[in-house]
Amino acid sequence: MDVTVAAIVFLVTYALIATDRLDKTIAALLGGVAMVVLRVIDQAQAFLAIDFNVIFLLAGMMILAGILRRTGFFQWLAIRSVKIADGDPFRLLLVLSVVAAVLSAFLDNVTTVVLLAPVTLYIATTLRVSPFPFLVSEILASNIGGTATLIGDPPNILIGSASGLDFVAFLGTMAPAAILVFVAFVVTVRLFFRGALEVHAEVREAVLALDESEVIADPRLLRVSMLVIGVTLVGFLVHGPLGYEPATIALLGAAVLMLVARIDAETVLREVEWPTLFFFVGLFMLVEGIVQVGIVDALARGLFELTAGDQGITTLGLLWLSAIASAIVDNIPYTATMIPVVRGLGAEGLAIEPLWWALALGACLGGNATIIGASANVVVANLAGRAGHPITFRAFLPYGVVVVLESLVISTVYLWLRFLA
Amino acid sequence: MTGPIRLARQTTVAVCQTLLEIEPLIVSLGEDLLVVMRRSAAQPATRLVAVVDDAGHLVGVLPILRLAESVIARVVPESLMADIADVADVARFGHAVEARTVSDVMLEPASIRPSATLGEAFRLMHHRRISGLYVVDDDGRPTGYLDLLELAVAYVDALEGRSPQPDS
Repeated sequence: MDVTVAAIVFLVTYALIATDRLDKTIAALLGGVAMVVLRVIDQAQAFLAIDFNVIFLLAGMMILAGILRRTGFFQWLAIRSVKIADGDPFRLLLVLSVVAAVLSAFLDNVTTVVLLAPVTLYIATTLRVSPFPFLVSEILASNIGGTATLIGDPPNILIGSASGLDFVAFLGTMAPAAILVFVAFVVTVRLFFRGALEVHAEVREAVLALDESEVIADPRLLRVSMLVIGVTLVGFLVHGPLGYEPATIALLGAAVLMLVARIDAETVLREVEWPTLFFFVGLFMLVEGIVQVGIVDALARGLFELTAGDQGITTLGLLWLSAIASAIVDNIPYTATMIPVVRGLGAEGLAIEPLWWALALGACLGGNATIIGASANVVVANLAGRAGHPITFRAFLPYGVVVVLESLVISTVYLWLRFLA
Repeated sequence: MTGPIRLARQTTVAVCQTLLEIEPLIVSLGEDLLVVMRRSAAQPATRLVAVVDDAGHLVGVLPILRLAESVIARVVPESLMADIADVADVARFGHAVEARTVSDVMLEPASIRPSATLGEAFRLMHHRRISGLYVVDDDGRPTGYLDLLELAVAYVDALEGRSPQPDS
């Protein structure tokens, strides 16, 4: 009976999230609480399932990014990119893509793409070209960059906490894959957009007139933010050997920056994305329901039997399944659900580490396939539409699918050579 | 009009309009923003521009601040970029940068009928977060302009016993 109830609650919640019939935070919270109210699990089990390492790592990084965005740093970097590219549109598209990828590896993808967007729109208007190639490239680059580190994308944060793999392990395994994918992405965008970005020399002069010093809202805050975030990133590099969880490092960085930034706590905490944090809370409770009644174990056994326990087929199958699923549904609930499945596959006797990497690569990179595949995609589509340059599902799809397919081919070869050969 | 005007929540827009006597600033959809700016500068008491179609119907309004932003976005875009914090700000900036004609930046029409009350006018301006309203006839053509600040000053004057007098 519990199995049926848990399965129904889970599937209904998933359907509500996937179809946007209800706000995803409300859907996840309702689903999670329903598991308790319907006595699938008790409250103690539900609350114990909430991974506070994930919640506080996210919260800490949101605080750091929230303070940094007040400084004008993102806009400054975007204008610097214009200067570095010497106003050449295609070179600028590449430089902005690198900036989006690198920032997204360490900071929230959505913050990155939103704050690069104003300069992007201005440049496109001044150069008299469509902002579409720039915005699409920034979306794709942001998701590729987010794949590279433990803190780059929510699926990695979930997997890092569940697997015990530390920041350095993620950097050592995911960053090389992300760099290879990014190189392929650069070649691809050259084929896609090179011809669309030809402009006259005189309009290039106009964009070079932008003065980056004028967007720095608070030079002192910028200096202390860069210092504290830099030290926090070093903290992530050594959290494993020092025996601290990433959440401790993120919270320490956030608390220190709040102290030295001299901004009152209420103002800073208002910028924390509480709906995202409660979305995770609801998901943890929801997934615990199907774990406790044995559905996840059965799913893991089924997958194990389906692949006949073959490590290669299971790993690469998980990579492709995760990418396809993440293109269609939000990659956060998908990853939260698959984590106990991967644990189950490990318990069946498969080497678990390649499975974690396959899940991480698939979930992060798969988000590039469609305009609804990841939060950054949805937000850029929204802002582009509101600014008068809609990016439709159909317009984005060919670019997204090609980049995801080449990402998956690269990831398949990479995982095979590194873990399976 | 003879005798003091009695200004209160229930005072009709038609009466308020007579009291303020601010000239509407009416432009067409395709009007160049620089032209509108010059006209606006010559008529500083009108802080909201009315945008009409070929038939003279009100199809939009343009607050002066929004008009100014489109100039700032062209001359010193960095000053607007520095203030951007969210998606709505980006979209607004994107519009301001590209805007060339009134139709690029105008907002939904903000209008009121002469028979409506002063209370309704204040509520509408607060709800729309704009500093004025256009009074329109039955066909939706602008016939007058109500300015929030001028109206507020007149209302306070009335409360303090200067003419015009409040009802209660």
